[in-house]
Amino acid sequence: MTETFLQNLINGALTGCIYALIALGLSLIFGVMNVVNFAHGDFVMLSMYLTFWIGVWAGMDAFITPLITFPALFLIGLLAYNALIDRTLRQKYVTQIAVTVGLMTFLRALAQLIWKAQPRALPYSLIQGSIQIGPYTILASRLVSAVVSVLAIAGVYLFLSRTWAGRAIRAASDDLDAASLLGIPYRQTYALAFGLGSALTAIAGGLLMTFQQVDPTMGVRFGLLSWCVLAMAGLGSIPGLLISGIIVGAAEAIGMSFWDPRARSLIVYLLFILVLWLRPRGLFGRK
Amino acid sequence: MSAPILQVSQLTKRFGNLVALNGVSLEIREGEIFSIIGPNGAGKTTLFFNIIGLQKPDAGRVLFKGTDITGKSPHKICHLGITCTFQVPRAFANMTVEETVRVGAYKRYQGREMSQKVDEVLRICELEEYRHQRCSDMGLAHLRRVELARALATEPVLLLLDESGAGLNPSELTGLMDILHRLNEEMHITLCIVEHVMQMVMSLAQRIVVLDHGEIIAEGSPQEISTHPRVIEAYLGKRVVC
Repeated sequence: MTETFLQNLINGALTGCIYALIALGLSLIFGVMNVVNFAHGDFVMLSMYLTFWIGVWAGMDAFITPLITFPALFLIGLLAYNALIDRTLRQKYVTQIAVTVGLMTFLRALAQLIWKAQPRALPYSLIQGSIQIGPYTILASRLVSAVVSVLAIAGVYLFLSRTWAGRAIRAASDDLDAASLLGIPYRQTYALAFGLGSALTAIAGGLLMTFQQVDPTMGVRFGLLSWCVLAMAGLGSIPGLLISGIIVGAAEAIGMSFWDPRARSLIVYLLFILVLWLRPRGLFGRK
Repeated sequence: MSAPILQVSQLTKRFGNLVALNGVSLEIREGEIFSIIGPNGAGKTTLFFNIIGLQKPDAGRVLFKGTDITGKSPHKICHLGITCTFQVPRAFANMTVEETVRVGAYKRYQGREMSQKVDEVLRICELEEYRHQRCSDMGLAHLRRVELARALATEPVLLLLDESGAGLNPSELTGLMDILHRLNEEMHITLCIVEHVMQMVMSLAQRIVVLDHGEIIAEGSPQEISTHPRVIEAYLGKRVVC
């Protein structure tokens, strides 16, 4: 009993690191420009399919594909920002929601058209096998995924706290008017945040493809999952995002094994409602 | 008399039926300390926002050193050399004082030069001991100086200050006025101050315009303004003759 619990806790926590990485992208976009990007999960789905393509055509391992998909998703993010999001910034909230929901539907339909409805997976990954610690088995692919996710999150943290562009993003997120008076151009800053937020899904997509299959409806799951993580963490705390990701991942895994695998999403949303009810600003949030 | 650095002509801004600025014209000369005063709701902050690009005027023009900057975005205007501080301090809550100033300095400096600029600005604004403190933990008087410091880090030629004396106690006010004096005399920054604190305006400003209901009702030296009948009327109401 305890062993099963701990085994699931470990598995879930490792997957949770990837959730945190996805949520970080969402948090960048929402935190900086206050845009609720409903298409974020579909960027993850798109990244997974691109990883699949590159894996099949170029024989590249899923772990390495972010080298290509990261810049690709960054460009797609820039394009989405300039073509769609920028025009909605001064519109009503409803317009923004309609646009990102539209983008979400578009991406899903596009995936169905190109890749058909059946799930796709890559045959194998370079990182094979598992590590045995006492009675617990840790899959190497999950462990490496978690490590890479944490490293990527740390990288974003350093970028935001040490570089000019990162500080500009934080300043614009705090107070756009004040930032613009200091010479920070809003449009480039927003585009950068959106591009980076989207590009982070490329890393997550590559990691997920090492142990999971992809289908066109996956976006919704990852989109809502990352909202849960973000709501739990609150805005502005990157370590908090990581902890929340781990909590969500662990809750999901434990719930699936002790209750019912079909209850997967149910547990996550129960947690989501609980957090919104008891701590609307999240566990670590600033605003 | 030195050349005008900023020329505002016939600036008009409406919000629905409310005319916030009605054909306002004024000139700020290079190197001076200029002040805009007026009762609450006179349009002072609106005037600032329309000069700096946070709002776009409905009519009229703003010229900076002869170049038309009407309706340009604030970051472009900042690059040209004008920036402003807010009436209610809007420091970046999740940054330290030093980081906040750095954001401003990045525009013109890099590497070691930037660190020097940051140090210099922190020294001028007497904020050195607070450099690692988070802005969200600071009091009003210090926040105003943080705001001043980050604006200075962009190296403005013309600095607009929106009621930076409001809510300060007498000793804090004297400290702020000393800093502003030094900015003007040693760093040759032209200052335009919007102010309610008369003590500050009268001792700092060389020229004053009075704004009321979106229109300029008087212009002159502090002495002329303090005895101007329309100014007294705007502030205190009409004298009732009985």
